[in-house]
Amino acid sequence: MNRRVVIAILALLVFGVVRMPFEAHLEKEHKAAYFHGANLDLSLREKIGQMGFLAALSGFRALVADFLWIHAHAFWERTEWGGMKVDFDAVTALQPRCLLFWSQAAWHMAFNASVAALEDPKQPREALRIKAQREYWKLGEDYLLRGIANNPDVYNLYGDLAFLYREKFKDHCKASEMFAKSAKFPDSPVYTHRFVLYELAQCPGHEREAYEGLLKLYKVGESERLPTLLKHLGELQEKLNVPADQKVYIPPAANP
Amino acid sequence: MSTPAISIQNLTKIYPIPFKREKVTAVQDLSLTVEPGQVYGLLGPNGSGKSTTMKIVLGLVSPTSGRTEIFGRDSTTVESREDVGFLPENPYFYKYLTGQETLRFYGKLCGLSSAKIRDRSKELLKLVGLENAADRRLAGYSKGMLQRIGLAQAMIQEPRLLVLDEPTAGVDPAGSREIRDLILDFKKRGITVLLCSHLLEQVQEICDRVGILNHGALIREGTLDELISIQDQTELILENATPELLADIHALLGKSSARLIEERKPQKTLERYFLDVTGTPQP
Amino acid sequence: MTATPTATQHKAFSLARISAIASNTLLELIRLKVFYFMLLFALLIIGSSFFTSKFTFQEQFQVLKDVSLGAMSIFTWLLAVLATAMLLPKDIEDRTLYTILAKPVPRFEYLLGKFIGVLLLLFIAISLMSAVFVVVLYTREQDAIANAARYVPDNAYSDQVKSIHAACFNSNLVPGIAIIYLKSALCAALTLLLSTFASSWIFTIITSVVVYLIGHIQPIARQAYLDSATTSHLTKVFLAVVALIIPDLTSLSLVDDIVVGNAIPMLIFVKTAGLGVTYICVYFFVGYLVFSGKEL
Repeated sequence: MNRRVVIAILALLVFGVVRMPFEAHLEKEHKAAYFHGANLDLSLREKIGQMGFLAALSGFRALVADFLWIHAHAFWERTEWGGMKVDFDAVTALQPRCLLFWSQAAWHMAFNASVAALEDPKQPREALRIKAQREYWKLGEDYLLRGIANNPDVYNLYGDLAFLYREKFKDHCKASEMFAKSAKFPDSPVYTHRFVLYELAQCPGHEREAYEGLLKLYKVGESERLPTLLKHLGELQEKLNVPADQKVYIPPAANP
Repeated sequence: MSTPAISIQNLTKIYPIPFKREKVTAVQDLSLTVEPGQVYGLLGPNGSGKSTTMKIVLGLVSPTSGRTEIFGRDSTTVESREDVGFLPENPYFYKYLTGQETLRFYGKLCGLSSAKIRDRSKELLKLVGLENAADRRLAGYSKGMLQRIGLAQAMIQEPRLLVLDEPTAGVDPAGSREIRDLILDFKKRGITVLLCSHLLEQVQEICDRVGILNHGALIREGTLDELISIQDQTELILENATPELLADIHALLGKSSARLIEERKPQKTLERYFLDVTGTPQP
Repeated sequence: MTATPTATQHKAFSLARISAIASNTLLELIRLKVFYFMLLFALLIIGSSFFTSKFTFQEQFQVLKDVSLGAMSIFTWLLAVLATAMLLPKDIEDRTLYTILAKPVPRFEYLLGKFIGVLLLLFIAISLMSAVFVVVLYTREQDAIANAARYVPDNAYSDQVKSIHAACFNSNLVPGIAIIYLKSALCAALTLLLSTFASSWIFTIITSVVVYLIGHIQPIARQAYLDSATTSHLTKVFLAVVALIIPDLTSLSLVDDIVVGNAIPMLIFVKTAGLGVTYICVYFFVGYLVFSGKEL
């Protein structure tokens, strides 16, 4: 019996030797397919505690992340933005492939926390309130950039980042760039290719490029001749001094 | 000459003790033969090697050296068990199964078809007196009933050899009598029985041959007549003997070299008395 | 019964014997009332909605899927370990093992029948849990669509319904659940192997749990062993033992990423499933190797 146990252990060792290269290769393939991207390091362990870390290691990352997500929203109810950020950092480390977490974390920082900071009654100095607001915008931007780094294969976070640049940073050039990246994906929303041009139209030095693009869309037909497209087309025609006989669209105010 | 039902040749079994140098010799150079159709009693005190010998015959334990055969087939092979039915000591079958389902389960293990299992189950349940309890879960069976269903499962594939370990242990006198009668019935059908028991009176009643083990070795073996008959004594039991006849016999004894050792009224066994007063019918 | 019985033919391999043992094992395990945990499962996934009622529907569906698949993972793992750890010790203690092996049943068929019984139990458990999960998810999806019909403007309604469908069931969950099953089957095979030489079922369970935990960091040991140039000899030996003996359970822990929408390419699924099946076969055969020589 003991001899058989020894043979069994040897058999397991041999199996271990045989499977090791296959498993190492499979691990690489998993990572290439965006599995096991979670960053389970010691800083995470400090954030989520021993039991949470053990649970995360034992194949229950998603549950630990959800628990922290709900916990973060308890902070939201008390507008404790710092506490929310700590939880969001842990959640996104645990579930880097969950677009919802990156998107919502960015939204809370850039759209909720930033407004709360700007209107903070405890901060009398406006300059400091504006500074805090911009810091929260940057936190939102950071979440989306890290989210994109973990999810370069989907359109969603590019679109979210584009909206952030457009709405908060008022950086239409970057917004256009992000909409363009989103539009490259076949499943991106239909409006994305238009938004690329709308933002480009507001990006200094790119008016001609935007005009060419909008003109091309205009010539597609009625389905593309939406009010915003027409508005930007009209504005660019004026900015670029397009000759009257080449103008394809006359804004209503210019009509006699 | 027919093939022996069980043939044990120079069987030795040594168990190593974990973490220690010394070993335990459970069976030592044992040789014995059980002929077909015999009821063979394997006796011995606790630790004498009976269970080990039985387990080796059944292929549950492998010998250190020596050979055991069942009807000429090496008993370490699975095929040899086609011919064997086994009832362990204090068996504990699956409680949630009924008697019928238990026989069906063991029948399937023996490769019997559903139709054959149905027929055999009906026969065996009748034989062991459990027809009325066939649909009752084993959890509701008494000790005697469990032993009887155990015998039935042992017989399910019509084996040529039955190995019974303490078949009447813990069973009341009535149940014990029924089991012994079943064993004698099996013998009449030509089934060989290897029986291990501590209840020596019962062994005496049903066995043809006995082997006595002690410290792993066979110290005595033979028919009961060979082993326990007191050769130089004769027992006569007389019915309706008159005092005059008894006086004549005493006078004859006085003239011979024979010595009268004892004269008394024979006694029923306590078991027979118990069965009579509790109303259990005679076999 | 009529004439003296005669010698019978033996079948070297019999599916009928294996299926008799498997179905009996399944019946035995079901009778342990293990399916009461199904109630707990249903309560968990329905109860999870109480914590997320103020969240968006995407968040609610995410939590529902995470809790369901997380609970499926843990329950099937627990079931695998607890059901398997008791299989052999119970039969040995009750001596039913002797009555079975005294029949013409090869030890291989006995062990295989027992193991298949456990696999069937796990399959039934995971199927039931999946059914409850799908029903609850579908009900919540219909609720979300009804809410959209009430509150979302007409021009945005169809986009909203598309978002609801996208957030709800995704077909990658099916291979995800298959991998959960394979992982629990692997744990069952490992537990069976341990029980063939363990002295008690408590030892089997504890060892199985420890191996489960270490199995999730085995890739770290493997990588450290393969990469190491300057570690001490003793450390290298320790890493080698962990890397070679302990199974790599992270390779079968894909559901956390699948549940958030990460697609699993077919080839990778086949390789992963193949690895899982190989583990199961190897552990079973090594367990048989030990059991075949076990003195009963």
